[in-house]
Amino acid sequence: MFYAGDAVPGNGVSPQNDVLKTDKKEDTLKERPSRKNKKKEKETIEKPSVKSKSEKKPLVLPVEASFFALFLTVLLGGFYVVHSVWAAAEAYSAPSIVLTSHSHDGLHVFDDFREAYAWLSHNTEVDDKVASWWDYGYQTTAMANRTVIVDNNTWNNTHIATVGTAMSSPEKAAWEIFNSLDVKYVLVVFGGLVGYPSDDINKFLWMVRIGGGVFPHIKEPDYLRDGQYRIDSQATPTMLNSLMYKLSYFRFVETDGGKGYDRVRRTEIGKKHFKLTHFEEVFTTHHWMVRIYKLKPQKNRIRGKTKKSKSKTSFTTTPRSGTTKKNPWH
Amino acid sequence: MSRFRFDLLLLLVLSLQLSPALSDLIISKLDRRIDLTSQIVRVTMTLKVENTGHDPVSEVSFTFPEHQANNLALLLAVSTEGKGKNRGAATNLPIGVKQPNDSPPSLVWYAASLPKELGKGESLNMDVLAVFTHSLRPFPEKITQAEPQLLLFQDSAHFTSPYNVKVQSLTVKLPSGNVESYTKLEKTKFSGSEIKYGPFENLPALSYSPVIIHFPSNKPFAIAKELVREIEISHWGNVQVTEHYSIIHGGAQSTGEFSRLDFQARPEVRGASAFRHLIAMLPPRAHSIYYRDAIGNISTSNIHSDSSKTLVEIEPRYPMFGGWKTSFTIGYGLPLHDYLFQSGGNRFLNITFGSPLFDVLVENLTLKVVLPEGSKDIYSSVPFPVKESQETKFSHLDIAGRPTIVIEKVNVVPEHNQYFQVHYKFSNISLLTEPLMLIFGFFALFVACIIYMHADLTISKSSSSYLAKLQWDEVQGTIQQLQDIINRCLLIHDKLEASLRELSRTGDVQACKAVRKSADSLLKDLSKELKPLLALLQSSPQAAHILPKVEDLVMKERDLQEKILLKHTTVVDSYERKSMSRDAENRVAAIQQKISALKQEVDDLLDFVEDI
Repeated sequence: MFYAGDAVPGNGVSPQNDVLKTDKKEDTLKERPSRKNKKKEKETIEKPSVKSKSEKKPLVLPVEASFFALFLTVLLGGFYVVHSVWAAAEAYSAPSIVLTSHSHDGLHVFDDFREAYAWLSHNTEVDDKVASWWDYGYQTTAMANRTVIVDNNTWNNTHIATVGTAMSSPEKAAWEIFNSLDVKYVLVVFGGLVGYPSDDINKFLWMVRIGGGVFPHIKEPDYLRDGQYRIDSQATPTMLNSLMYKLSYFRFVETDGGKGYDRVRRTEIGKKHFKLTHFEEVFTTHHWMVRIYKLKPQKNRIRGKTKKSKSKTSFTTTPRSGTTKKNPWH
Repeated sequence: MSRFRFDLLLLLVLSLQLSPALSDLIISKLDRRIDLTSQIVRVTMTLKVENTGHDPVSEVSFTFPEHQANNLALLLAVSTEGKGKNRGAATNLPIGVKQPNDSPPSLVWYAASLPKELGKGESLNMDVLAVFTHSLRPFPEKITQAEPQLLLFQDSAHFTSPYNVKVQSLTVKLPSGNVESYTKLEKTKFSGSEIKYGPFENLPALSYSPVIIHFPSNKPFAIAKELVREIEISHWGNVQVTEHYSIIHGGAQSTGEFSRLDFQARPEVRGASAFRHLIAMLPPRAHSIYYRDAIGNISTSNIHSDSSKTLVEIEPRYPMFGGWKTSFTIGYGLPLHDYLFQSGGNRFLNITFGSPLFDVLVENLTLKVVLPEGSKDIYSSVPFPVKESQETKFSHLDIAGRPTIVIEKVNVVPEHNQYFQVHYKFSNISLLTEPLMLIFGFFALFVACIIYMHADLTISKSSSSYLAKLQWDEVQGTIQQLQDIINRCLLIHDKLEASLRELSRTGDVQACKAVRKSADSLLKDLSKELKPLLALLQSSPQAAHILPKVEDLVMKERDLQEKILLKHTTVVDSYERKSMSRDAENRVAAIQQKISALKQEVDDLLDFVEDI
């Protein structure tokens, strides 16, 4: 290796800086080739050593560990599939017309809605009209194939209010309203026996409010006790006389030996023993979830006092107490 | 009642007129047994016929009043040879309707043909089964939920036979030990659940003695108003049976009120006449059984299967009270090898005719047997008279449709659930038509795709845009080649640099020179190749926007090449002279700077060219 000497005897002192600079330059220049050479050496030395190192580097993971890891990944994927299928089946597959509950001996199926609609479709005349709250309108039309009074379209508020008024009125007034609409069957949904919370008694406040919004003789405070809707012994007499109460709880007290405990409202009902005068029960489903009643036809003979002003009805009813209610159809 | 009196009168008149016209057969012993335990009335008669005349007799006639004959669903006669322990084989006698000309229309005659003629003085034992439908009338016709169902049955204590009967007796079996009322003749006995009339002796032909029995019965009165049974054969191994039922409760009608409370609390008392379950007996190895109706699956069903049968217990959505209707569909699949048999090209299907439901009367049965496409010479053989027709059903992968044989019958009782055969011809090669059709379909699709990819679908070859596209493709190709060449030049530069490093390491000048020589020659070749490409690019109008950059690239690369070569020569020379003059080093350093800068530029331009 040739190597120029460190210090070069300067030419003159005057341009010392220059000399120094040039020295430095020379040094750097000299060192550069030397450094270059050294670098080259280093590079050449490093490169083969790096190469050998890279050649000698082992696999990232041993074979057994990688197989185990793969197996665990596959297992994770499998569990994910199983979990997704379970979640879809349990949580996302509730058709809400067939209800299920898990009991100690398997799955219990509540197919009451379809039972009621199938009964209606096969055992009523084609032209019979069914009155119910509007939630069940489309289902009745599609599955039972019968004409309904109000359905889920809810475009006619007055019509819904009419049905709501009928449900909130006593039996005779309700009969008159339904008879004027040419209704043959009335359908109510009742969840008190099995504990189904979305039944018509829970929706009753809307029937009162919507009905009261159009027909002023339905006043909401008549149905409230301390600001609450109640069906137990503290319920108001208007509530206990309403058609919805009577149709829901007709002979309900006989199912559990005299107590009449409503599983949804978690209380015993107020009026336990009563008879229906204007309606007759034609069908109740297996778990009492849907109850269908038929309007009784008018009697031919009028018993008792004839009412000259209102000559439409001819039923014998219990004597009216209190104020006479204004009939919306007169 | 008036109807009976009229018939009675007529029959009495007839018996006086017709008896001499008949052959001289007499029935020496007749035991009649009427079974009223279900909605279908079954009458079994055991009789011994004797030929007292001179001529041999070849047939035995039976008569039924018209109202009974309308309800007659099945009439079977079996004759047995010998008596007691020597009873021989039972032979079914074919029965035909044979109306003599002088018979009034209110009397229907059936004739059973004997296998061999009955000679003078010979006697023959016969067993006759007559099945009547709609013979039990509910009376009262409408009942409430709590009332039991009462039925009315009217018949004659004397069998209306066209022959004189020496001794006859009648036993009526009731479903339970209760009876509301029954006609009491002189020899009547009621014990257990049976009413015995008789024995009556020496009765003339066509004698009639009306008997009315009013009794309670809570047996299920399931009547299928309509049953459409479709049997579809697939030669791939499955017989699919689909049955559509419309069921009605045919007993006493319900008045309308139904209390679920009463029904659930005490179903035997409140709702005794209603039925909840229907049991179907399917063949063994039935699979994929489903039970649904128009609005969805019905989940209330149970299946018990063993090696000889599959019992399916189905529960309609609601209990069936009198007059209530329901409808549902049951479907199941059966293995083909149990039902399809073949010899040569002839095949026949052997399957049961009626409904698998227990004790259900079918008023209108339509049976459709759907055979695979390509079946010919179709005919059926059913052991009793039916109405037949043929139609076509179109299903998947069908070109001409599947030939269907439609068999219709009215008033089908469970005794009709016998095997019947449908014969047809189907060659084994026709089995391949469907898979071949699918294969050919996919094949044609793929061939079409291939043709489309390779076909030149341009509308005009001389339009400007087409030409421009062609030129652009050329330009792109040229640039690609140019890039290639430049990359190779760069590789050679790298080789030269590597040789320099080798030189500094080993000091082997000769090897370095050799590398230099090969590099020189290669670079010359490459520059030669580059020239025509450049020319092409210059001539093409499409490349106008990228030409300056490309030329720039080429020039820079040339510069780089020169510089590297220069550096190489300098270093090699200095090695040869074994001294590194300061001058040379300075030059090398300067060149190196320029080389690095040029390299950077060349790389940038190459990236740009790649992106085109």
